[in-house]
Amino acid sequence: MKEYKVVVLGSGGVGKSALTVKFVSGTFMEKYDPTIEDFYRKEIEVDSAPSVLEILDTAGTEQFASMRDLYIKNGQGFVIVYSITSRQTFQDISSMRDQIQRVKGVDRIPMILVGNKADLEHQREVPPVEGAALAQEWGCPYLETSAKSTQNVNELFIEIVREMNSSPVKEVTGCCSIL
Amino acid sequence: MRVGGTPANFIMEDEKPGSTPGITIRAATPERLIELCVGAFEEGVAVQQEDFVKVFFLMHQWFMTSEELVQAFIDLYQSSDETVSCDHPGCRHLPSCHDCQVQHYKRKICQAVRYWITNYPMHFDLNGHVTAAVQSLGGLLQAEGNSQLKELLDLSTVPSYEWMRSMSVRNTGSKHSRKVSLVFNHLEPEELASQLTYLEYKAFRRIHFVDFKNYAMTASLKDQPKLERSIALFNGLSQWVQCMVLCKTTPQQRADVIVKFINVSKHLRVLQNFNTLMAIVGGLSHSALARLSKTISCLPSESQKILMEFTELLSSNNNFSNYRKVYHACTGFKIPILGVHLKDLISLHTALPDRAEGGLLNFRKMAQLSSILRELTRLQGHDSVPVDANMDLVNTLRLSLDLHYTEDEIYELSQAREPRESLSSPTTPTKPVVFADWVAGVSPPDSNTINKHVHDMVEAVFKNYDHDRDGFISHGEFEAIAGNFPFIDSFCVLDADQDGMISKVEMKTYFIRANCHALRNSFKHAFHETTYFRPTFCIHCTGLLWGLIKQGWKCKDCGINAHKHCKDLVVMECRSKGSTKRTESLSNGAGMPEMTLSAKRKISQRQKRASPSHLQEQSAQTEDVIHRMSCSSRCQPHREVTLVDGEFYEEQSLLYERLLKAEEDREKLMEENSMLRSRLEIANEQIMTLKSHIGVIRQNTIAFILEQMDALHMQRDTEV
Repeated sequence: MKEYKVVVLGSGGVGKSALTVKFVSGTFMEKYDPTIEDFYRKEIEVDSAPSVLEILDTAGTEQFASMRDLYIKNGQGFVIVYSITSRQTFQDISSMRDQIQRVKGVDRIPMILVGNKADLEHQREVPPVEGAALAQEWGCPYLETSAKSTQNVNELFIEIVREMNSSPVKEVTGCCSIL
Repeated sequence: MRVGGTPANFIMEDEKPGSTPGITIRAATPERLIELCVGAFEEGVAVQQEDFVKVFFLMHQWFMTSEELVQAFIDLYQSSDETVSCDHPGCRHLPSCHDCQVQHYKRKICQAVRYWITNYPMHFDLNGHVTAAVQSLGGLLQAEGNSQLKELLDLSTVPSYEWMRSMSVRNTGSKHSRKVSLVFNHLEPEELASQLTYLEYKAFRRIHFVDFKNYAMTASLKDQPKLERSIALFNGLSQWVQCMVLCKTTPQQRADVIVKFINVSKHLRVLQNFNTLMAIVGGLSHSALARLSKTISCLPSESQKILMEFTELLSSNNNFSNYRKVYHACTGFKIPILGVHLKDLISLHTALPDRAEGGLLNFRKMAQLSSILRELTRLQGHDSVPVDANMDLVNTLRLSLDLHYTEDEIYELSQAREPRESLSSPTTPTKPVVFADWVAGVSPPDSNTINKHVHDMVEAVFKNYDHDRDGFISHGEFEAIAGNFPFIDSFCVLDADQDGMISKVEMKTYFIRANCHALRNSFKHAFHETTYFRPTFCIHCTGLLWGLIKQGWKCKDCGINAHKHCKDLVVMECRSKGSTKRTESLSNGAGMPEMTLSAKRKISQRQKRASPSHLQEQSAQTEDVIHRMSCSSRCQPHREVTLVDGEFYEEQSLLYERLLKAEEDREKLMEENSMLRSRLEIANEQIMTLKSHIGVIRQNTIAFILEQMDALHMQRDTEV
């Protein structure tokens, strides 16, 4: 079974945790412990191929600049999240993409652009066309999601697996071992 | 005894033990939780369901303020006359009635409050309102004559948590620039690790429960200065690591700095300070440094291995499983990686709803959160840090950790040091390259010494400038040399055989022939010990000239500054030969109306500083003379006796005369001595005032830097 490392990036408060939690845990959980080893691992089937995703939720550590670099080094696919209710979060993400490219040192990196909180249509500040336009510029897929209504949550992770399949990043262990 | 009812819709309990051991309550109303808490206290027995009680008191601030909780206890106390039924007919529920159920219940309330005060004292010391509320409960007890119970509410033993309230003092000041290397060069890795741990601990233990709660809820640092300060320290440290490495010009120098930081990391691991370890390892493995392939090739394999082990330890793989295992195995003093635990907190908060069915408070969530928060707040009780803080170092360190660089700027610097695809292109030295210590101890050299110096220097030049290592200096390479040797002749002069290349021999011949003022004079600096009144940096190692007075050595002629131990290593021409006049008049300080105030102060200070020592010297000499005088005068009678017996009477009278004269001299010298002493006293007084001046200046400097820090934080805030 193929294993993928996915990093969820975005400013604070865009709902990274909510998306991650929704995906790894479904709607209801009897037992919940985010400190256990395989908490963020989940099996999914993508195009009839079973895969294991290990998701790194960066929520809470957005402000720790040097941790972000370590995360990116470790990741193969990147979910870049903004909130459609906050233009600021949409503006923040371009620097994140730059950082990913810098750390990875290659142009083509599997990533997906995500506008979260799609359920809050009445508070929308970023229209879908802008998100789509940015995704086109980056050459990556674009989805609007809602962790609350689970809209597109699974689809988003399926999509990022497809991206990783089409342009696999070289084994990450090599790049970490240098320094 | 029954307290209220226990209707099913007020509380939900787990049938089997839930995820948190010892706690069976799944959800309940806050009122019911408080009742349960009071119920756990029984006189003369250990607290029942202590796990629940602990979680309740630790976590209550998640859903209510401490003030509200005290008020709830007061309400419970006041209403107990009605709600609690007493078995004794005709009992008036007075404190004297020992078997009275009402009194019994009141005692339980007070014991619950006592438990709270004893185990979570910071809730009381940090909040005046809570203290006031407890005092009003005390007043209630007093009014009922329950003085015995009132003692339970005694708050006087609550330790002070002043440090949690206070932030570092900040003042305003004027602007000037700083460098990043402040103390780095002067500290051993172990010392550095200790002081960093002290700083980290100070920032960490200030973060209050409410700060964690707000951060988990809002995911923003807005209005959370304590948490922000701690994160700023973390980021500052990572940046400092990067800057310290990148400010070195050659790959080997950079590798040396990396090795030093790896050694610091080793000590941090021993101190179990994982947060600082993360910051440093994060800085070392940052892309701005990881891309420096030349530098990394200079790293000893042992250091590379250690760094890899640390990266492994702190890796986010498998949900930080390596770190978590090691962290939990550590006992005693330890500092967790704040980011990891904040992440857990947010994850839990996001995943679990605040309210369970029927609008009840989700107590299981509180129980789960409490395990993280207990860990985070546990350290704050530690009064001892396993390190000795040196406040001067800590303060300086704190300043150097606050950098004005952005990630982009650091990355640019990294690219400038080792350009992309830099396999063939040379590193461009941006600072005068340091040669062998051939200038050390230059005194008027004989020809042998000069030859040796020239040889060493030319070797050094080739080592540093002959980038393609072909044994010849090309045109391009010569340009770089000329930049550092303005007095050197043109390329053609050196290239004696006109083959377009300068060989070592050609260069040696040139220098020996030119021998010369270029060597003997231009490279010799007239260093003298100097006291600096503003942060000044060494031209050689770029470190701060450290200390209060006589921090370093300044060249009288060209004005460069260096450490005592660096001054002999400086290889840079003394460039102001032509303008000696100007510098001389400057150092005299006379007739310079356009001179800045600080320069004047500097000079006058220097003169004043010089005078007392001069005086002391004089007085010491004087005393010496007196000593000799008195010695001779004491010897005189002895000699007199021998002379009386002899025939040299004349000589005796002559000697007597001399004695008188000597005594006269002595008196004069005594007078002079006392006068000099009084002058010395005055001079000492002056020193004292000047010292206090320095204090003020220092204060202002620090104040300014702190203000800058503030501004930067504010700027970061707005950026965030």
